[in-house]
Amino acid sequence: MLAAAVLALLVVMFYYPVATVFVDAVLVEGRLTLRVFAAILTDPFYLGELARLFAGDSPLAVLRALLSADRRLGIVGFTAYQAALSTVVSVAVGVPLAYLLARYEFPGRRTVRSLTILPFVLPSIMVAVGFFAAFGADGTLNAALAAVGLGPVDLLPSLEAIVIAHAFYNAPLVARITTASWESVDASAVETARSLGAGPFRAFRDVVWPQVYPAVLMSAALTFVFTFGTFPIVLALGGFELATLEVFIYGLIRDLAYAEGAALALLELAISLSVLYGYLRYEAAHTVEAGGIRPQERRPLRPPSWSLRELLPRVGLAAYAVVALVLFCLPIASMVSASLSGPAGFTLEHYRFLLERQATGASFQVRPWPAVRNSLLFGAAALAVALPMGVVVSVLTTRDYAGRELVDTVAMAPLSVSSIVVGLGLLRGLVFGVELGGVRVAVGGALAIVAAHAVAGYPFVVRIVAPGLASLDRQLVESARALGAPRARALLDIELPLVWPAVVAGAAFAAAISIGEFSATAVLASGTGQYTMPIAIERFIGRRLGPATAMGVVLLVVTSGSFLLIDRFGGDRVGL
Amino acid sequence: MTALASDPPPALEMDGVTRRYGGTTAVDDLSLSVDEGEFFTLVGPSGCGKTTTLRLIAGFEAPTSGTVRFGGRDVAGVPPEDRDAGVVFQSYALFPHMTVAENVAYGLNFADPPGGVSEAERVAELLELVDLPDAGDRDPDSLSGGQQQRVAMARALAPGPDVLLLDEPMSALDARLREQLRVQVREIQQELGITTVYVTHDQEEALAISDRVAVMRDGAVEQVGRPRDIYRRPASRFVAEFVGDNNVLDGEVRAVADGTATVVVGGEPLSVGLADWDGGAVSVGDRLTVCVRPEALSVGGGPNCLTATVESAEFLGETTRVHLDWTGHELLLRTRDPLTGEVTVGFDPADAHVVARHDHM
Repeated sequence: MLAAAVLALLVVMFYYPVATVFVDAVLVEGRLTLRVFAAILTDPFYLGELARLFAGDSPLAVLRALLSADRRLGIVGFTAYQAALSTVVSVAVGVPLAYLLARYEFPGRRTVRSLTILPFVLPSIMVAVGFFAAFGADGTLNAALAAVGLGPVDLLPSLEAIVIAHAFYNAPLVARITTASWESVDASAVETARSLGAGPFRAFRDVVWPQVYPAVLMSAALTFVFTFGTFPIVLALGGFELATLEVFIYGLIRDLAYAEGAALALLELAISLSVLYGYLRYEAAHTVEAGGIRPQERRPLRPPSWSLRELLPRVGLAAYAVVALVLFCLPIASMVSASLSGPAGFTLEHYRFLLERQATGASFQVRPWPAVRNSLLFGAAALAVALPMGVVVSVLTTRDYAGRELVDTVAMAPLSVSSIVVGLGLLRGLVFGVELGGVRVAVGGALAIVAAHAVAGYPFVVRIVAPGLASLDRQLVESARALGAPRARALLDIELPLVWPAVVAGAAFAAAISIGEFSATAVLASGTGQYTMPIAIERFIGRRLGPATAMGVVLLVVTSGSFLLIDRFGGDRVGL
Repeated sequence: MTALASDPPPALEMDGVTRRYGGTTAVDDLSLSVDEGEFFTLVGPSGCGKTTTLRLIAGFEAPTSGTVRFGGRDVAGVPPEDRDAGVVFQSYALFPHMTVAENVAYGLNFADPPGGVSEAERVAELLELVDLPDAGDRDPDSLSGGQQQRVAMARALAPGPDVLLLDEPMSALDARLREQLRVQVREIQQELGITTVYVTHDQEEALAISDRVAVMRDGAVEQVGRPRDIYRRPASRFVAEFVGDNNVLDGEVRAVADGTATVVVGGEPLSVGLADWDGGAVSVGDRLTVCVRPEALSVGGGPNCLTATVESAEFLGETTRVHLDWTGHELLLRTRDPLTGEVTVGFDPADAHVVARHDHM
């Protein structure tokens, strides 16, 4: 019963809206057609030189064109190119961190390890603000350069900024996944290799690396998918000159070119899903069941002797630490400091601005207080929907029954569809209204935003609560039922009290996702008064950096609070 | 149907029940019936389907085909909470976030305490029954395994179920405690007169506490009977070997006379009583499977005289289990005296039991 209600909700909040988007792509003026796709596939604007392949050119000519200096990548090509670059940089930054966390013991190691979960809850638009504060025209970097007499550098907008911001986001993910697999390397296996005559490097190559690199590949695949579908960071740091697919789709939607936008969104989804599918196939073939392993002992960070062999890796790690500090801490620190400083030094002016209703200014301008209020309201409402949904889906995915895999897939699909598309679907399907038996049913924009946030948030509730439920003895529920408790009552009386830390963590996650959600909100709030803090930040960036950083700090505080809750109650359980 | 219309229906009945998971069949066309107030035990090796059978009765699993009846009423589609069956699991599954008293009282949320007493009185009554009168305020985690098991019993019994289902409730306890607790479980069952289905892999436990035992193998019942009959008159080679130590021998009938068959095993003639054989006439040339319990073998001969060699001996305290080699067959013998070398053993033909007959080709 509950399950049916949740699935119905999913249909209303996700499947129906998203379907209306994809129908747009193949249904032009009431006729079924692939014309839009054909136009996209053969247009060099989208696919660059590859478009000539679909237009009938010989593959050799295309290859030659791709290798020439003035090749055209097109939007899709550029999106893949920046995603590939971001992936390489994220892996380059993330793997040394994993090495440090997995192999060295030092004060604060646990803290750093749990901080790697932070990017999941940090709003990307906030990270963008941090980058503006650090690397923008008036940012910390230029201030530092000016202090030593060097001219200002203009880093924004640029591809480099996008790639670095993506690394800020995804390197911790790479580190998190890689550390976990590195820690599961059995010390006995390494010792066996050493006793059989392998030197330390040979033992690493033959025993450790084969267990670690699948994790690196996995995190690289995830990073590619995430950065392929990136939106707020590119929008804020690249603008429309450096548009990726997602940004371009957003642009098309704003220009009401729905068919083209929908077709592009389908193409994007197809590419992301095939990367994910390829990865999942690979993972299934390479998963090793680890059980009863004895982890390798961690080395102290202070070298036990001053030999070259002990010193070299530590010097490398020290150099890495400097880079990591600049990458991870400078943007956040710059944002906080910028929010507290004005022309006359220290000021709380920007924060005061957030609380003002800003009576002056035209009605189309973004006012700060409504943004704060909307964010909190939508967050609370989205949480009220996402939490029960996530709990029910968790119950559904931790029991064995026929058709469970289908339910799993149906329930987790929202993770893989771009939020722009969800937002567009809700806009087209619900806000513009549906014809139901001759009656036009339309949903307010605020409700649609809540629906979008709930859809974005509940998979994270599932990700945290489901493992908790799965670890419970199923005989607890069976005992309750044999004693006369109906299924829902057993959930309330037995299961939820026993996994409540996971429920709290899941709730914190869902709230953080809602507060930081940008893409779907941007689509749904455009031209209305229902903007949230992230939307306001995007509109303030470049024009009013002060208030943007102040809002960024508020977001930072809220999401850090969520992070503390998650870390305290469910940090070890977060999958992904 | 031979039962008279006036007979009350059995408390519990399974009729041609099958349960399949994908390609595997856990329970295969199983039929059995349990009488009101009876202590009925399902025993068998792991994977024989006994726990699945219990779960089918409790309603945690639905039969692929066949019918489960409570008091003559088909319970297909009736969820576990509406079956009035109390369940005790191997893990006890006490709710860790509730006190002992809250655990016992949980079922009273959904049913009035039987006997018109208050909830608190009912809880006290049951804690008294399981001999833990002062444990009400304690956390389940602070109890020993045996105490947890008794709390689980009290909890299952509190709402006054029609049937009590016990799934290996003692297999996590050590041997001595198991023996004490099984006596207590049997006493409680008899005091309440509650129909009970008990699942265990321990055949000794099954024989010790049951009114009737069903020996299961590969999802089907091999034999149902009183413990004494199961032990003395196993109906198949599997039952003969699974229940207690046994010497199971195959041979060919050479002669039949005066309720005794002469069976040739390994070239030697053995006299075997046919008094308790009810599988049809035995004639010369039939192949029989025969069993003789180790304690029925005595040193020094008798009607059947076997000359055997001692291979090894296990000192068990009260007796010694001796492994003998006789014409290439391994024989087990229970004795109090140490044995070595070559010995002559014998048995009374009445102590031998014919397990099965295979007609000659």
